[in-house]
Amino acid sequence: MADVSVISELNAVVLKIEVAAGDRVQAGDTLIVLESMKMEIPVAAPRAGTVAAILVEEQQPVEEGQKLAILGA
Amino acid sequence: MNWRAELDELRLRERLAGEMGGADKVKRQHDGGRLTVRERIDKLVDAGSFHETGAIAGNAVYDAHNELKSFAASNCVFGRARVDGRPVVVVGDDFTMRGGSADASIYEKPLMAERMAAEFRLPIIRVIEGSGGGGSVKTIETTGRANLPGGVGHAIGFHYTTANMAAVPVIALGLGSVAGLGAARLAASHYSVMTKSSAMFVAGPPVVARVGQDLSKQELGGWEIQTRSGAVDHAVDSEEEAFACARRFLSYLPSSVYELPPKRATDDDPERRDESLMDAIPRDRRKVYKIRPIIEAVVDRGSFFEMGAMFGRPIVTGLARLDGRPVGIMASDPYFYAGSWTTAACQKIVRFVDLAETFHLPVVYLMDCPGFLIGLDAERAATIRHGVRAMAAINQTSIPWCTIIIRNCFGVAGAAHQPAGRLALRYAWLSSYWGSLPLEGGIEAAYRAEIDAAPDPAAKLREIEERLNKLRSPFRTAEAFWVEEIIDPRETRPLICEFARLSDTLVAPGPSTFAMRP
Repeated sequence: MADVSVISELNAVVLKIEVAAGDRVQAGDTLIVLESMKMEIPVAAPRAGTVAAILVEEQQPVEEGQKLAILGA
Repeated sequence: MNWRAELDELRLRERLAGEMGGADKVKRQHDGGRLTVRERIDKLVDAGSFHETGAIAGNAVYDAHNELKSFAASNCVFGRARVDGRPVVVVGDDFTMRGGSADASIYEKPLMAERMAAEFRLPIIRVIEGSGGGGSVKTIETTGRANLPGGVGHAIGFHYTTANMAAVPVIALGLGSVAGLGAARLAASHYSVMTKSSAMFVAGPPVVARVGQDLSKQELGGWEIQTRSGAVDHAVDSEEEAFACARRFLSYLPSSVYELPPKRATDDDPERRDESLMDAIPRDRRKVYKIRPIIEAVVDRGSFFEMGAMFGRPIVTGLARLDGRPVGIMASDPYFYAGSWTTAACQKIVRFVDLAETFHLPVVYLMDCPGFLIGLDAERAATIRHGVRAMAAINQTSIPWCTIIIRNCFGVAGAAHQPAGRLALRYAWLSSYWGSLPLEGGIEAAYRAEIDAAPDPAAKLREIEERLNKLRSPFRTAEAFWVEEIIDPRETRPLICEFARLSDTLVAPGPSTFAMRP
Protein backbone atom coordinates (compact mmCIF):
# COMPACT_ATOMS: atom_id res chain seq x y z
CA MET A 1 0.00 0.00 0.00
CA ALA A 2 1.48 3.31 -1.10
CA ASP A 3 1.99 6.07 1.44
CA VAL A 4 -0.64 8.80 1.43
CA SER A 5 -0.12 12.45 2.29
CA VAL A 6 -2.62 13.97 4.67
CA ILE A 7 -3.08 17.58 3.62
CA SER A 8 -4.70 20.60 5.19
CA GLU A 9 -7.89 21.53 3.36
CA LEU A 10 -7.71 25.12 4.63
CA ASN A 11 -5.47 27.84 6.03
CA ALA A 12 -5.29 27.24 9.76
CA VAL A 13 -3.06 26.85 12.81
CA VAL A 14 -2.07 23.44 14.19
CA LEU A 15 -3.79 23.25 17.58
CA LYS A 16 -3.06 19.67 18.68
CA ILE A 17 -1.19 16.69 17.32
CA GLU A 18 -2.99 13.58 18.50
CA VAL A 19 -0.69 10.85 17.14
CA ALA A 20 3.01 10.21 16.77
CA ALA A 21 5.08 8.55 14.06
CA GLY A 22 4.74 4.79 14.38
CA ASP A 23 1.18 4.89 15.78
CA ARG A 24 -1.34 2.54 14.23
CA VAL A 25 -4.57 4.35 13.23
CA GLN A 26 -7.95 3.39 11.82
CA ALA A 27 -9.76 5.22 9.01
CA GLY A 28 -11.49 8.25 10.50
CA ASP A 29 -9.22 8.54 13.57
CA THR A 30 -8.23 12.11 14.33
CA LEU A 31 -4.56 12.70 13.55
CA ILE A 32 -4.30 16.43 14.04
CA VAL A 33 -6.63 19.19 15.20
CA LEU A 34 -6.44 22.48 13.33
CA GLU A 35 -7.84 25.79 14.46
CA SER A 36 -9.52 28.20 12.09
CA MET A 37 -12.03 30.97 12.74
CA LYS A 38 -11.98 29.89 16.43
CA MET A 39 -13.16 26.38 15.53
CA GLU A 40 -11.39 23.10 16.13
CA ILE A 41 -11.17 21.15 12.89
CA PRO A 42 -10.18 17.50 13.24
CA VAL A 43 -8.10 16.06 10.41
CA ALA A 44 -8.97 12.40 10.05
CA ALA A 45 -6.98 9.46 8.70
CA PRO A 46 -8.23 8.77 5.16
CA ARG A 47 -7.59 5.05 5.69
CA ALA A 48 -6.15 2.66 8.25
CA GLY A 49 -2.37 2.55 8.47
CA THR A 50 0.71 3.48 10.42
CA VAL A 51 1.70 7.11 10.85
CA ALA A 52 4.98 7.40 8.94
CA ALA A 53 5.66 11.03 9.75
CA ILE A 54 4.15 14.16 11.26
CA LEU A 55 5.34 17.15 9.26
CA VAL A 56 4.08 20.02 11.40
CA GLU A 57 4.30 21.28 14.98
CA GLU A 58 1.66 22.62 17.34
CA GLN A 59 0.99 26.36 16.92
CA GLN A 60 2.41 26.28 13.38
CA PRO A 61 0.34 28.07 10.72
CA VAL A 62 -0.46 25.85 7.73
CA GLU A 63 -1.84 26.65 4.31
CA GLU A 64 -4.49 24.98 2.21
CA GLY A 65 -2.87 22.07 0.40
CA GLN A 66 0.07 21.79 2.84
CA LYS A 67 1.13 18.28 3.86
CA LEU A 68 0.52 17.62 7.54
CA ALA A 69 1.42 13.97 7.87
CA ILE A 70 2.34 10.87 5.92
CA LEU A 71 0.33 7.73 6.45
CA GLY A 72 2.10 4.44 5.67
CA ALA A 73 0.86 0.90 5.24
CA MET B 1 -38.13 -1.29 -54.95
CA ASN B 2 -37.73 1.70 -57.23
CA TRP B 3 -35.09 3.32 -55.03
CA ARG B 4 -33.03 0.29 -53.99
CA ALA B 5 -29.75 1.73 -55.27
CA GLU B 6 -30.21 5.01 -53.44
CA LEU B 7 -31.23 3.24 -50.24
CA ASP B 8 -28.10 1.09 -50.50
CA GLU B 9 -25.96 4.18 -50.97
CA LEU B 10 -27.58 5.87 -47.97
CA ARG B 11 -26.86 2.82 -45.80
CA LEU B 12 -23.30 2.65 -47.12
CA ARG B 13 -22.65 6.27 -46.26
CA GLU B 14 -24.15 5.79 -42.80
CA ARG B 15 -21.97 2.74 -42.31
CA LEU B 16 -18.86 4.66 -43.36
CA ALA B 17 -19.76 7.45 -40.94
CA GLY B 18 -20.19 4.85 -38.20
CA GLU B 19 -16.60 3.72 -38.70
CA MET B 20 -15.50 7.11 -37.36
CA GLY B 21 -11.72 7.62 -37.64
CA GLY B 22 -11.14 3.98 -38.62
CA ALA B 23 -10.26 0.79 -36.75
CA ASP B 24 -6.78 1.98 -35.71
CA LYS B 25 -8.01 5.22 -34.21
CA VAL B 26 -10.90 3.46 -32.48
CA LYS B 27 -8.46 0.94 -31.01
CA ARG B 28 -6.24 3.76 -29.79
CA GLN B 29 -9.28 5.37 -28.12
CA HIS B 30 -10.16 2.08 -26.40
CA ASP B 31 -6.56 1.41 -25.42
CA GLY B 32 -6.57 4.79 -23.69
CA GLY B 33 -9.49 3.58 -21.58
CA ARG B 34 -11.96 5.78 -23.42
CA LEU B 35 -15.14 5.04 -25.30
CA THR B 36 -15.83 6.37 -28.78
CA VAL B 37 -18.37 9.15 -29.17
CA ARG B 38 -21.00 6.72 -30.48
CA GLU B 39 -20.46 4.29 -27.60
CA ARG B 40 -20.71 7.22 -25.19
CA ILE B 41 -24.01 8.40 -26.61
CA ASP B 42 -25.40 4.85 -26.53
CA LYS B 43 -24.52 4.46 -22.85
CA LEU B 44 -25.67 7.95 -21.91
CA VAL B 45 -29.23 7.84 -23.28
CA ASP B 46 -32.17 5.43 -23.12
CA ALA B 47 -31.34 2.27 -25.11
CA GLY B 48 -31.85 2.72 -28.84
CA SER B 49 -33.31 6.21 -28.47
CA PHE B 50 -30.61 8.18 -30.34
CA HIS B 51 -31.78 9.72 -33.58
CA GLU B 52 -28.89 11.39 -35.34
CA THR B 53 -29.02 14.59 -37.36
CA GLY B 54 -26.57 14.95 -40.23
CA ALA B 55 -25.12 11.47 -39.85
CA ILE B 56 -23.67 11.43 -43.36
CA ALA B 57 -22.19 14.93 -43.29
CA GLY B 58 -18.45 14.90 -43.77
CA ASN B 59 -15.69 15.01 -46.35
CA ALA B 60 -16.05 12.66 -49.31
CA VAL B 61 -13.45 11.82 -51.92
CA TYR B 62 -14.64 10.81 -55.41
CA ASP B 63 -12.84 8.94 -58.17
CA ALA B 64 -12.52 10.04 -61.79
CA HIS B 65 -16.01 8.73 -62.50
CA ASN B 66 -17.45 10.68 -59.60
CA GLU B 67 -17.99 7.48 -57.64
CA LEU B 68 -17.57 7.69 -53.86
CA LYS B 69 -14.01 6.55 -53.06
CA SER B 70 -13.75 7.31 -49.36
CA PHE B 71 -15.64 9.17 -46.72
CA ALA B 72 -14.61 10.86 -43.47
CA ALA B 73 -17.51 11.84 -41.25
CA SER B 74 -17.65 15.15 -39.44
CA ASN B 75 -16.27 14.76 -35.94
CA CYS B 76 -19.36 16.35 -34.46
CA VAL B 77 -22.09 13.78 -33.76
CA PHE B 78 -25.44 15.12 -32.63
CA GLY B 79 -29.12 14.38 -32.49
CA ARG B 80 -32.07 13.82 -30.24
CA ALA B 81 -32.45 11.02 -27.74
CA ARG B 82 -34.34 10.26 -24.56
CA VAL B 83 -33.12 10.22 -20.97
CA ASP B 84 -35.51 8.54 -18.53
CA GLY B 85 -38.09 8.85 -21.30
CA ARG B 86 -37.63 12.62 -21.71
CA PRO B 87 -36.32 14.05 -25.00
CA VAL B 88 -32.89 15.72 -24.96
CA VAL B 89 -30.29 16.90 -27.45
CA VAL B 90 -26.90 15.20 -27.33
CA VAL B 91 -23.82 16.56 -29.07
CA GLY B 92 -20.47 14.81 -28.94
CA ASP B 93 -16.94 15.20 -30.26
CA ASP B 94 -15.42 12.31 -32.19
CA PHE B 95 -11.83 12.26 -30.98
CA THR B 96 -10.91 9.50 -33.43
CA MET B 97 -11.40 12.01 -36.22
CA ARG B 98 -8.57 14.53 -36.15
CA GLY B 99 -8.57 14.68 -32.35
CA GLY B 100 -11.97 16.35 -32.25
CA SER B 101 -10.51 19.49 -33.81
CA ALA B 102 -12.40 21.93 -36.05
CA ASP B 103 -10.43 20.78 -39.10
CA ALA B 104 -12.78 17.86 -39.39
CA SER B 105 -15.86 19.48 -37.93
CA ILE B 106 -18.59 21.19 -39.85
CA TYR B 107 -19.28 24.48 -38.20
CA GLU B 108 -23.07 24.26 -38.53
CA LYS B 109 -23.40 20.89 -36.75
CA PRO B 110 -22.56 21.82 -33.15
CA LEU B 111 -24.33 25.12 -33.80
CA MET B 112 -27.53 23.35 -34.84
CA ALA B 113 -27.37 21.11 -31.77
CA GLU B 114 -27.41 24.20 -29.58
CA ARG B 115 -30.18 25.81 -31.67
CA MET B 116 -32.24 22.64 -31.52
CA ALA B 117 -32.00 22.64 -27.73
CA ALA B 118 -32.94 26.32 -27.57
CA GLU B 119 -35.79 26.29 -30.05
CA PHE B 120 -37.30 22.90 -29.19
CA ARG B 121 -36.78 23.66 -25.49
CA LEU B 122 -34.79 20.53 -24.74
CA PRO B 123 -31.91 19.91 -22.32
CA ILE B 124 -28.55 19.61 -24.05
CA ILE B 125 -25.77 17.25 -23.04
CA ARG B 126 -22.35 18.10 -24.47
CA VAL B 127 -19.97 15.13 -24.61
CA ILE B 128 -16.64 16.89 -25.01
CA GLU B 129 -13.21 15.63 -25.96
CA GLY B 130 -10.43 17.55 -27.69
CA SER B 131 -10.72 21.17 -28.59
CA GLY B 132 -14.46 20.75 -28.90
CA GLY B 133 -14.66 21.97 -32.47
CA GLY B 134 -12.11 24.69 -31.93
CA GLY B 135 -9.35 24.95 -34.49
CA SER B 136 -5.72 23.99 -34.43
CA VAL B 137 -2.95 26.10 -35.90
CA LYS B 138 -3.11 23.82 -38.93
CA THR B 139 -6.52 25.26 -39.77
CA ILE B 140 -4.78 28.31 -41.20
CA GLU B 141 -3.22 26.12 -43.89
CA THR B 142 -6.47 24.42 -44.84
CA THR B 143 -8.42 27.67 -45.04
CA GLY B 144 -5.55 29.83 -46.25
CA ARG B 145 -6.39 32.62 -43.84
CA ALA B 146 -6.44 33.38 -40.14
CA ASN B 147 -9.69 33.00 -38.26
CA LEU B 148 -10.99 36.08 -36.50
CA PRO B 149 -12.47 34.67 -33.27
CA GLY B 150 -16.08 35.81 -33.08
CA GLY B 151 -15.75 37.28 -36.57
CA VAL B 152 -18.43 37.53 -39.29
CA GLY B 153 -20.54 34.37 -39.37
CA HIS B 154 -18.64 32.76 -36.51
CA ALA B 155 -20.07 34.46 -33.44
CA ILE B 156 -23.48 32.83 -33.24
CA GLY B 157 -22.08 29.60 -31.78
CA PHE B 158 -20.73 31.58 -28.85
CA HIS B 159 -24.16 33.10 -28.44
CA TYR B 160 -25.78 29.71 -27.84
CA THR B 161 -22.85 28.48 -25.74
CA THR B 162 -23.89 30.90 -23.02
CA ALA B 163 -27.48 31.86 -23.92
CA ASN B 164 -28.76 28.30 -23.57
CA MET B 165 -28.00 28.51 -19.88
CA ALA B 166 -30.97 30.85 -19.48
CA ALA B 167 -33.28 28.52 -21.40
CA VAL B 168 -32.57 24.81 -20.97
CA PRO B 169 -30.48 22.55 -18.73
CA VAL B 170 -26.92 22.43 -20.09
CA ILE B 171 -24.81 19.48 -18.97
CA ALA B 172 -21.22 19.06 -20.07
CA LEU B 173 -19.01 15.99 -19.76
CA GLY B 174 -15.24 16.28 -20.20
CA LEU B 175 -13.95 12.86 -21.28
CA GLY B 176 -10.30 12.95 -22.27
CA SER B 177 -8.19 16.01 -22.97
CA VAL B 178 -10.33 19.10 -23.30
CA ALA B 179 -8.83 22.40 -24.40
CA GLY B 180 -9.70 25.81 -25.81
CA LEU B 181 -13.25 26.02 -27.14
CA GLY B 182 -13.88 22.57 -25.67
CA ALA B 183 -12.94 23.90 -22.23
CA ALA B 184 -15.26 26.87 -22.76
CA ARG B 185 -18.14 24.56 -23.72
CA LEU B 186 -17.43 22.44 -20.64
CA ALA B 187 -17.37 25.40 -18.26
CA ALA B 188 -20.40 27.16 -19.79
CA SER B 189 -22.83 24.67 -18.29
CA HIS B 190 -25.12 24.22 -15.31
CA TYR B 191 -23.36 21.04 -14.32
CA SER B 192 -20.06 19.62 -15.52
CA VAL B 193 -18.39 16.30 -14.86
CA MET B 194 -14.96 15.02 -15.84
CA THR B 195 -13.38 11.61 -15.46
CA LYS B 196 -10.35 11.45 -13.19
CA SER B 197 -8.13 10.43 -16.10
CA SER B 198 -9.22 13.50 -18.08
CA ALA B 199 -7.66 16.93 -18.15
CA MET B 200 -9.13 20.30 -19.02
CA PHE B 201 -7.29 23.53 -19.75
CA VAL B 202 -7.44 26.69 -21.79
CA ALA B 203 -4.19 25.61 -23.41
CA GLY B 204 -2.36 22.31 -23.00
CA PRO B 205 1.18 21.49 -21.84
CA PRO B 206 3.05 22.29 -25.11
CA VAL B 207 1.54 25.78 -25.23
CA VAL B 208 2.03 26.33 -21.51
CA ALA B 209 5.68 25.23 -21.86
CA ARG B 210 6.20 28.30 -24.02
CA VAL B 211 5.28 30.52 -21.07
CA GLY B 212 7.77 28.65 -18.93
CA GLN B 213 5.69 26.04 -17.12
CA ASP B 214 6.71 22.44 -17.58
CA LEU B 215 3.66 20.48 -16.48
CA SER B 216 1.93 17.23 -17.38
CA LYS B 217 -1.71 17.27 -18.49
CA GLN B 218 -2.79 16.11 -15.03
CA GLU B 219 -0.62 18.65 -13.23
CA LEU B 220 -2.01 21.42 -15.39
CA GLY B 221 -5.67 20.54 -15.63
CA GLY B 222 -6.40 17.26 -13.89
CA TRP B 223 -9.50 16.72 -11.80
CA GLU B 224 -7.94 17.87 -8.54
CA ILE B 225 -7.02 21.19 -10.12
CA GLN B 226 -10.32 21.74 -11.92
CA THR B 227 -12.77 20.62 -9.24
CA ARG B 228 -10.96 22.66 -6.57
CA SER B 229 -10.84 25.69 -8.88
CA GLY B 230 -14.57 25.39 -9.47
CA ALA B 231 -14.18 25.21 -13.26
CA VAL B 232 -15.63 21.67 -13.24
CA ASP B 233 -18.29 20.58 -10.76
CA HIS B 234 -17.53 16.92 -10.25
CA ALA B 235 -15.02 14.17 -11.06
CA VAL B 236 -15.71 10.45 -11.38
CA ASP B 237 -13.67 7.29 -12.00
CA SER B 238 -15.44 6.06 -15.13
CA GLU B 239 -17.33 7.39 -18.13
CA GLU B 240 -20.35 5.30 -17.08
CA GLU B 241 -20.43 7.20 -13.77
CA ALA B 242 -20.29 10.50 -15.66
CA PHE B 243 -23.34 9.44 -17.70
CA ALA B 244 -25.17 8.44 -14.50
CA CYS B 245 -24.40 11.88 -13.00
CA ALA B 246 -25.81 13.61 -16.09
CA ARG B 247 -29.00 11.55 -15.97
CA ARG B 248 -29.43 12.13 -12.24
CA PHE B 249 -28.90 15.90 -12.52
CA LEU B 250 -31.56 16.07 -15.23
CA SER B 251 -34.06 14.16 -13.09
CA TYR B 252 -34.45 17.21 -10.80
CA LEU B 253 -34.90 19.75 -13.57
CA PRO B 254 -37.62 20.72 -16.01
CA SER B 255 -36.74 20.23 -19.70
CA SER B 256 -36.63 23.99 -20.10
CA VAL B 257 -37.46 27.16 -18.18
CA TYR B 258 -40.94 26.93 -19.77
CA GLU B 259 -41.81 23.98 -17.53
CA LEU B 260 -41.73 23.27 -13.80
CA PRO B 261 -39.44 20.74 -12.10
CA PRO B 262 -40.90 17.21 -12.27
CA LYS B 263 -42.47 15.82 -9.10
CA ARG B 264 -41.96 12.20 -8.21
CA ALA B 265 -43.75 9.89 -5.79
CA THR B 266 -41.84 9.19 -2.58
CA ASP B 267 -42.29 6.56 0.09
CA ASP B 268 -40.43 8.68 2.64
CA ASP B 269 -42.91 10.08 5.17
CA PRO B 270 -42.89 13.90 5.01
CA GLU B 271 -43.68 13.91 8.74
CA ARG B 272 -40.62 11.79 9.57
CA ARG B 273 -38.71 13.18 12.57
CA ASP B 274 -35.11 12.10 12.67
CA GLU B 275 -33.93 11.61 16.28
CA SER B 276 -30.28 12.15 15.35
CA LEU B 277 -31.00 15.84 14.78
CA MET B 278 -31.46 16.47 18.49
CA ASP B 279 -27.76 15.74 19.11
CA ALA B 280 -26.37 16.88 15.77
CA ILE B 281 -24.93 20.18 17.01
CA PRO B 282 -22.26 20.02 19.78
CA ARG B 283 -22.86 22.29 22.80
CA ASP B 284 -19.20 23.34 22.64
CA ARG B 285 -19.18 26.09 20.04
CA ARG B 286 -15.60 25.34 19.09
CA LYS B 287 -16.55 21.85 17.97
CA VAL B 288 -17.57 21.10 14.41
CA TYR B 289 -20.17 18.66 13.12
CA LYS B 290 -20.82 16.99 9.77
CA ILE B 291 -23.46 18.78 7.72
CA ARG B 292 -24.11 16.12 5.06
CA PRO B 293 -25.77 13.61 7.43
CA ILE B 294 -28.03 16.46 8.59
CA ILE B 295 -29.05 17.19 4.99
CA GLU B 296 -29.65 13.48 4.38
CA ALA B 297 -31.81 13.31 7.50
CA VAL B 298 -34.22 16.04 6.38
CA VAL B 299 -34.64 15.50 2.63
CA ASP B 300 -36.44 12.58 0.96
CA ARG B 301 -34.29 9.55 1.73
CA GLY B 302 -31.44 9.16 -0.78
CA SER B 303 -32.44 12.21 -2.81
CA PHE B 304 -29.54 14.55 -2.04
CA PHE B 305 -27.37 15.22 -5.11
CA GLU B 306 -24.38 17.39 -4.29
CA MET B 307 -22.80 19.71 -6.86
CA GLY B 308 -19.36 21.32 -6.69
CA ALA B 309 -18.27 19.55 -3.49
CA MET B 310 -14.59 20.46 -3.90
CA PHE B 311 -15.04 24.19 -4.49
CA GLY B 312 -16.13 27.00 -2.16
CA ARG B 313 -16.30 24.40 0.57
CA PRO B 314 -17.72 26.47 3.45
CA ILE B 315 -20.96 26.12 1.48
CA VAL B 316 -22.51 22.84 0.34
CA THR B 317 -24.91 23.07 -2.60
CA GLY B 318 -27.06 20.47 -4.29
CA LEU B 319 -30.46 19.28 -5.39
CA ALA B 320 -32.84 17.11 -3.43
CA ARG B 321 -36.52 16.25 -3.11
CA LEU B 322 -38.95 17.18 -0.36
CA ASP B 323 -42.20 15.21 -0.37
CA GLY B 324 -41.31 14.34 -3.98
CA ARG B 325 -40.67 17.93 -5.09
CA PRO B 326 -37.26 18.96 -6.44
CA VAL B 327 -35.61 21.74 -4.41
CA GLY B 328 -32.24 23.41 -4.15
CA ILE B 329 -30.35 22.77 -0.92
CA MET B 330 -27.69 25.14 0.35
CA ALA B 331 -25.94 24.48 3.66
CA SER B 332 -22.91 25.64 5.63
CA ASP B 333 -20.01 23.30 6.38
CA PRO B 334 -18.25 24.23 9.64
CA TYR B 335 -15.20 22.13 8.68
CA PHE B 336 -14.21 24.93 6.31
CA TYR B 337 -13.55 28.23 8.08
CA ALA B 338 -16.46 27.52 10.41
CA GLY B 339 -18.82 27.99 7.48
CA SER B 340 -17.78 31.60 6.91
CA TRP B 341 -18.17 32.98 3.44
CA THR B 342 -14.99 33.04 1.39
CA THR B 343 -14.70 34.52 -2.09
CA ALA B 344 -15.06 31.04 -3.57
CA ALA B 345 -18.07 30.25 -1.37
CA CYS B 346 -19.72 33.46 -2.56
CA GLN B 347 -19.12 32.53 -6.22
CA LYS B 348 -20.61 29.12 -5.53
CA ILE B 349 -23.68 30.69 -3.92
CA VAL B 350 -24.27 32.96 -6.93
CA ARG B 351 -24.07 30.04 -9.36
CA PHE B 352 -26.33 27.87 -7.23
CA VAL B 353 -28.95 30.54 -6.56
CA ASP B 354 -29.05 31.46 -10.26
CA LEU B 355 -29.58 27.80 -11.17
CA ALA B 356 -32.47 27.53 -8.69
CA GLU B 357 -34.04 30.75 -9.96
CA THR B 358 -33.66 29.75 -13.62
CA PHE B 359 -35.36 26.39 -13.16
CA HIS B 360 -37.97 27.36 -10.56
CA LEU B 361 -36.51 25.33 -7.71
CA PRO B 362 -37.50 26.44 -4.19
CA VAL B 363 -34.44 26.81 -1.94
CA VAL B 364 -33.86 25.50 1.56
CA TYR B 365 -30.80 26.98 3.28
CA LEU B 366 -29.46 25.22 6.36
CA MET B 367 -27.31 28.02 7.69
CA ASP B 368 -24.45 28.21 10.15
CA CYS B 369 -22.52 31.29 9.16
CA PRO B 370 -20.25 33.20 11.55
CA GLY B 371 -19.80 35.91 8.90
CA PHE B 372 -17.35 36.50 6.09
CA LEU B 373 -13.85 35.09 6.28
CA ILE B 374 -11.70 37.74 7.95
CA GLY B 375 -8.02 38.63 7.80
CA LEU B 376 -5.57 40.05 5.29
CA ASP B 377 -5.92 37.27 2.70
CA ALA B 378 -9.70 37.68 2.77
CA GLU B 379 -9.40 41.44 2.27
CA ARG B 380 -6.97 40.95 -0.62
CA ALA B 381 -9.45 38.54 -2.24
CA ALA B 382 -12.22 41.20 -2.16
CA THR B 383 -14.37 38.96 0.02
CA ILE B 384 -16.76 41.79 0.81
CA ARG B 385 -17.48 42.56 -2.86
CA HIS B 386 -18.03 38.91 -3.69
CA GLY B 387 -20.11 38.77 -0.52
CA VAL B 388 -22.48 41.57 -1.47
CA ARG B 389 -22.69 40.01 -4.93
CA ALA B 390 -23.91 36.76 -3.36
CA MET B 391 -26.32 38.77 -1.24
CA ALA B 392 -27.58 40.53 -4.40
CA ALA B 393 -28.07 37.15 -6.12
CA ILE B 394 -30.20 35.98 -3.19
CA ASN B 395 -32.13 39.26 -3.11
CA GLN B 396 -32.85 39.04 -6.86
CA THR B 397 -34.53 35.66 -6.61
CA SER B 398 -38.27 35.19 -6.84
CA ILE B 399 -38.34 31.48 -5.98
CA PRO B 400 -39.76 30.45 -2.60
CA TRP B 401 -37.09 30.46 0.10
CA CYS B 402 -36.85 28.79 3.50
CA THR B 403 -33.98 29.21 5.94
CA ILE B 404 -33.20 27.01 8.90
CA ILE B 405 -30.70 28.65 11.25
CA ILE B 406 -28.91 25.71 12.79
CA ARG B 407 -26.16 27.51 14.69
CA ASN B 408 -24.37 30.79 13.95
CA CYS B 409 -25.80 33.81 12.22
CA PHE B 410 -23.42 36.77 12.38
CA GLY B 411 -22.73 39.92 10.46
CA VAL B 412 -23.56 40.89 6.90
CA ALA B 413 -22.97 37.37 5.57
CA GLY B 414 -25.36 36.17 8.26
CA ALA B 415 -27.94 38.75 7.16
CA ALA B 416 -27.83 37.33 3.64
CA HIS B 417 -29.63 34.20 4.76
CA GLN B 418 -32.84 34.99 2.90
CA PRO B 419 -34.01 37.41 0.18
CA ALA B 420 -34.22 40.70 2.03
CA GLY B 421 -37.10 42.33 0.18
CA ARG B 422 -39.84 39.74 0.53
CA LEU B 423 -41.24 37.23 2.96
CA ALA B 424 -39.42 33.93 3.31
CA LEU B 425 -39.95 31.19 5.87
CA ARG B 426 -37.41 30.99 8.69
CA TYR B 427 -36.92 28.64 11.59
CA ALA B 428 -34.13 28.63 14.18
CA TRP B 429 -32.87 25.50 15.91
CA LEU B 430 -32.41 25.42 19.69
CA SER B 431 -28.67 25.64 19.06
CA SER B 432 -28.98 29.06 17.38
CA TYR B 433 -26.48 31.74 18.31
CA TRP B 434 -26.42 35.13 16.65
CA GLY B 435 -25.42 38.76 16.73
CA SER B 436 -24.06 41.65 14.72
CA LEU B 437 -20.57 40.38 15.39
CA PRO B 438 -19.12 37.59 17.53
CA LEU B 439 -18.38 38.53 21.14
CA GLU B 440 -14.75 37.47 20.88
CA GLY B 441 -12.92 40.48 19.50
CA GLY B 442 -16.14 42.47 19.42
CA ILE B 443 -15.96 43.11 23.18
CA GLU B 444 -12.39 44.38 22.98
CA ALA B 445 -13.50 46.87 20.34
CA ALA B 446 -16.70 48.07 21.99
CA TYR B 447 -15.61 48.14 25.65
CA ARG B 448 -11.96 49.18 25.24
CA ALA B 449 -12.10 52.14 27.69
CA GLU B 450 -13.80 50.07 30.38
CA ILE B 451 -11.33 47.19 29.96
CA ASP B 452 -8.26 49.42 29.87
CA ALA B 453 -9.36 51.25 33.05
CA ALA B 454 -9.86 48.04 35.04
CA PRO B 455 -7.14 46.90 37.47
CA ASP B 456 -7.30 43.41 35.89
CA PRO B 457 -8.22 43.91 32.22
CA ALA B 458 -8.43 40.16 31.51
CA ALA B 459 -10.86 39.63 34.38
CA LYS B 460 -12.89 42.62 33.24
CA LEU B 461 -13.08 41.14 29.71
CA ARG B 462 -14.35 37.83 31.11
CA GLU B 463 -16.90 39.64 33.27
CA ILE B 464 -18.29 41.60 30.31
CA GLU B 465 -18.35 38.48 28.16
CA GLU B 466 -20.34 36.61 30.81
CA ARG B 467 -22.77 39.50 31.15
CA LEU B 468 -23.38 39.70 27.42
CA ASN B 469 -23.63 35.94 26.97
CA LYS B 470 -26.58 35.87 29.33
CA LEU B 471 -28.41 38.11 26.89
CA ARG B 472 -27.53 35.81 24.00
CA SER B 473 -30.38 33.36 24.47
CA PRO B 474 -32.34 33.04 21.21
CA PHE B 475 -35.50 33.06 23.35
CA ARG B 476 -34.91 36.74 24.17
CA THR B 477 -34.76 37.45 20.43
CA ALA B 478 -37.94 35.45 19.83
CA GLU B 479 -39.62 37.31 22.69
CA ALA B 480 -39.17 40.55 20.70
CA PHE B 481 -40.30 38.73 17.51
CA TRP B 482 -36.96 39.44 15.83
CA VAL B 483 -37.08 35.81 14.82
CA GLU B 484 -40.35 34.07 13.98
CA GLU B 485 -39.88 30.67 15.49
CA ILE B 486 -37.45 28.51 17.43
CA ILE B 487 -37.96 24.83 16.70
CA ASP B 488 -37.05 21.37 17.91
CA PRO B 489 -34.61 20.32 15.14
CA ARG B 490 -36.59 17.11 14.65
CA GLU B 491 -39.44 19.25 13.28
CA THR B 492 -37.26 20.35 10.36
CA ARG B 493 -38.35 17.77 7.79
CA PRO B 494 -42.10 18.19 8.35
CA LEU B 495 -41.68 21.97 8.11
CA ILE B 496 -39.55 22.05 4.97
CA CYS B 497 -41.82 19.47 3.30
CA GLU B 498 -44.75 21.79 4.08
CA PHE B 499 -42.68 24.61 2.55
CA ALA B 500 -42.13 22.54 -0.61
CA ARG B 501 -45.88 21.85 -0.92
CA LEU B 502 -46.71 25.54 -0.38
CA SER B 503 -44.24 26.33 -3.16
CA ASP B 504 -46.32 24.37 -5.69
CA THR B 505 -48.50 27.37 -6.44
CA LEU B 506 -45.77 29.98 -6.08
CA VAL B 507 -43.51 29.03 -8.95
CA ALA B 508 -44.47 29.83 -12.52
CA PRO B 509 -42.78 28.63 -15.70
CA GLY B 510 -40.99 31.13 -17.92
CA PRO B 511 -37.62 32.80 -18.34
CA SER B 512 -36.02 34.43 -15.32
CA THR B 513 -35.83 38.22 -15.18
CA PHE B 514 -32.08 37.85 -15.72
CA ALA B 515 -30.11 35.40 -17.83
CA MET B 516 -27.90 33.06 -15.83
CA ARG B 517 -24.20 33.39 -16.58
CA PRO B 518 -21.76 30.47 -16.47
